[in-house]
Amino acid sequence: MAIRSQLLKGILEGCILAIISKETVYGYELAMKLQDQGLDVSEGSIYPILLRLQKEKLIQGEMRKSPSGPNRKYYTLTDAGEESLETFRKNWEYLKKPVDQLLDEEDV
Amino acid sequence: MQSLIAENNEKRKLLNKENKKIYEDMLMYVRLSYKKSEAETEEVLMELLDHLLILQHEGKDASELFGTDPKQYADEIVGELPQVITKKVIMLFFMGVFYFLGVATFVNGLVSSILSYGFGQLESNETYYIGTLSVNTLLSLGIAFLVVCGVIRYISWTCFKNVSKVFELLVTGIVFGTLPFCIFLALFYFMPSFGPSITIELYWLILIGICFYLLGNVFKRKA
Repeated sequence: MAIRSQLLKGILEGCILAIISKETVYGYELAMKLQDQGLDVSEGSIYPILLRLQKEKLIQGEMRKSPSGPNRKYYTLTDAGEESLETFRKNWEYLKKPVDQLLDEEDV
Repeated sequence: MQSLIAENNEKRKLLNKENKKIYEDMLMYVRLSYKKSEAETEEVLMELLDHLLILQHEGKDASELFGTDPKQYADEIVGELPQVITKKVIMLFFMGVFYFLGVATFVNGLVSSILSYGFGQLESNETYYIGTLSVNTLLSLGIAFLVVCGVIRYISWTCFKNVSKVFELLVTGIVFGTLPFCIFLALFYFMPSFGPSITIELYWLILIGICFYLLGNVFKRKA
């Protein structure tokens, strides 16, 4: 269980970095985008991750007025965040093929 | 920061009864984690409130956001909030100390002065023994500190729970009210007099109390 959730957390972190690198988003928007991708995570689970990514200085949050009125916290990627996303991308490529192959072999 | 808190107070009124209960427990629990950066704390609380309001608008349940165990979720949030630098904690500690001394001395001075000058019930001056006074002050501060920690622990513990009003009244009344008060009284009554003595007019206590309070303000501003 612990290992499984650790693994998922790491992957979710990478996905969040990927979304933020494409556009500046606020919390709710990010949760929606993850769901649109088919990643069915509990909506609340993004906030502890956003806090951690800020602490690690991979993303940066800024309170701004939104077009519809209220203050919202918008997130952007930092330089360190870009690097971290690159590393995640490489690691993922590295894992994806062998794991897929392995699972396909089992199916046969 | 104040504006964010004010905005939170306003927006919270839009929550329905159920969501309000769960959100306010969350708010209290997270804010009571006093060693955390206030800015980050208030910002994440606002994000959660905005998100909850959208869910409410869509007719969805708060568990979409907080999961099935809100306390565990709150612990997760608190665990990820950045710690504040120790300097701030120290300044806040001294602020508390001087506020406590200030209010205690001021009230003591005011009541004694009224009794003495207004009703002739007391002598207009009081003799203090430096040794006794220092020991009593330190012990009082220790007790006050324990009471404050106890209250914070207790409130955190009651978050996400339904505690009966009778139980609450008994516990808070006895543990945080009667008990410390009796210990304070016993301290001042039973502590033997020792050390050099000074005699001052009662109204000085009021002035000293105000000085302590102002000193507390200085620490508050530095924090």
